[in-house]
Amino acid sequence: MFFRNLTFFRFPATLAKSLDDLDARLEECRLKPVGPSEPMSRGFVSPFGRDEPAMSHRVGDAIWITLGGEDRLLPAAVVNDALARKIAEIEEKEGRRLGGRARKRLKEDLVMELLPRAFVRPTRLNASLDLEHGFIAVDSSSRKAAEALVSEVRHALGSFPALPLNAEVAVRAVMTGWLAGEPLPAGLSLGDECELKDPVDGGAVVRCSRHELQADEIRSHLEAGKQVTRLALVLDDHVSFVLGEDLVLRKLKFLDGAVEQLENSERDSLHAELDARFALMAGELKRLFAVLEQALKFSRAEA
Amino acid sequence: MPLLRTPRPAPPAEETRPLRLADGREVPVRWVRHPRARRLRLLVGERGARLTLPPRASIRAAEAFLHEHRDWLAQQLAAHVATTLPPLALWQEPQLPLRGEAVPLRWQPGRYARAALDDDGVLLQLPERAGERQARAALREFYGQQARADLGAWLPKYLPGLPRTPLSFRLRPLSSIWGSLSPGDALSLDLALVLGRPSAFEYVLVHELCHLIHANHSRAFWREVEKRWPDWRDERDYLRAQGPGLKAALARLAG
Repeated sequence: MFFRNLTFFRFPATLAKSLDDLDARLEECRLKPVGPSEPMSRGFVSPFGRDEPAMSHRVGDAIWITLGGEDRLLPAAVVNDALARKIAEIEEKEGRRLGGRARKRLKEDLVMELLPRAFVRPTRLNASLDLEHGFIAVDSSSRKAAEALVSEVRHALGSFPALPLNAEVAVRAVMTGWLAGEPLPAGLSLGDECELKDPVDGGAVVRCSRHELQADEIRSHLEAGKQVTRLALVLDDHVSFVLGEDLVLRKLKFLDGAVEQLENSERDSLHAELDARFALMAGELKRLFAVLEQALKFSRAEA
Repeated sequence: MPLLRTPRPAPPAEETRPLRLADGREVPVRWVRHPRARRLRLLVGERGARLTLPPRASIRAAEAFLHEHRDWLAQQLAAHVATTLPPLALWQEPQLPLRGEAVPLRWQPGRYARAALDDDGVLLQLPERAGERQARAALREFYGQQARADLGAWLPKYLPGLPRTPLSFRLRPLSSIWGSLSPGDALSLDLALVLGRPSAFEYVLVHELCHLIHANHSRAFWREVEKRWPDWRDERDYLRAQGPGLKAALARLAG
């Protein structure tokens, strides 16, 4: 259940009060099974799994929510193939070409006919809200998926003024500085992965993985004017991740320094196990956000 | 069914021909044949002079047309700063426009490209091997960062009272508008705004945020703008008067 990517949004910390009846609001927007002729359905589910009553899980000032979804899998190629057959059949019978509107209607009818037979793919997307710093961390590197989750939260709560993360420094320039030898913020150290880009349209791109980042090859790329667009970082031997210039954290990993506390203790139920893991993760996310907020000067969401 | 898809129209054929003005100067004119053009049309925009020709117009008629209007063209070109600005002077450019003022610019060789604002103005650090393109990219990033800092400072003030928040922000050079709000609530702003006075930038932000309430320019929309920014007419006039200059300055420094 540990998150593997993080896309952050900020909300005013004053919002905490309105989250008291969060469970009830999420319950109203619980995931409904996708209907036979619907392409997809979205709704909240329990973070602990199917058929659990709790719609969110709170540890201190961190809240864990999960957006569930069911998508019908209907590949465009299948529809197009069936459509081509049907059109050929009709043209053969009537001896005339079908117009654009008739084709469109035929396609819609076909989709309606095929949808009930399509597979249903379940999806789950986790997010963690931190009420102290006022952020929501979505376990996705896809902007679109993260925005969809925030939209669903907004829909459930009526209003949820979440803003995409805004850094008041040039993220590329800061990361380039770190790689070029400027001191990193306390706690952070360089990992073994980076992406360098020539900052002109269609400029060259260099990606290094499993590479010593303080090497001469990399220095000469920086001297040629390339800038860092992704950089692997490690926080205190607890968390490693790749920070992108879009402020999305990818390849998030919780290292031994953090996870060993979990292994030492035995827990008897899945519920207790998930609770312990979320508590650990929420604590690490809080610290990680605080370090990054200071280094990259994230804007606050309240005046 | 590739045959059924309407093909995307090819971009209009384009060539650049010089035109001799009355005072003997030669200026380039972009000749564009456009399939839907009905008559000859001469325009002056930020990319200089452009002549639009209908598909079958004769070259001789077009030349006669240009000759007839060359005085008007000279006058318009003089009014348009964009075509007369000198290129960015690498390692020499003395100052930068920022927030309506001219800020001193210092160039310094360094290990990597970056521009930063300090008490004495802007320090642009550039590797010795870097060229003009890297300098422009660093300046563009610098302007982007300054604009995001302003945005971060202003935005929280306006959030209460809005039905939703913008889902994303994009700052980049725009050619003819100052900002837009997409149906998916993505906010886009012209990077050139950070070169002009801050009140104009803030007004454009307020204007676009008000589109979250009314996605049109109705009276109700302007009432919302007026509630939040009573002097919007001043800013509109400023942008109309100074705007093309700001856009041209950005294109010159960081385009």
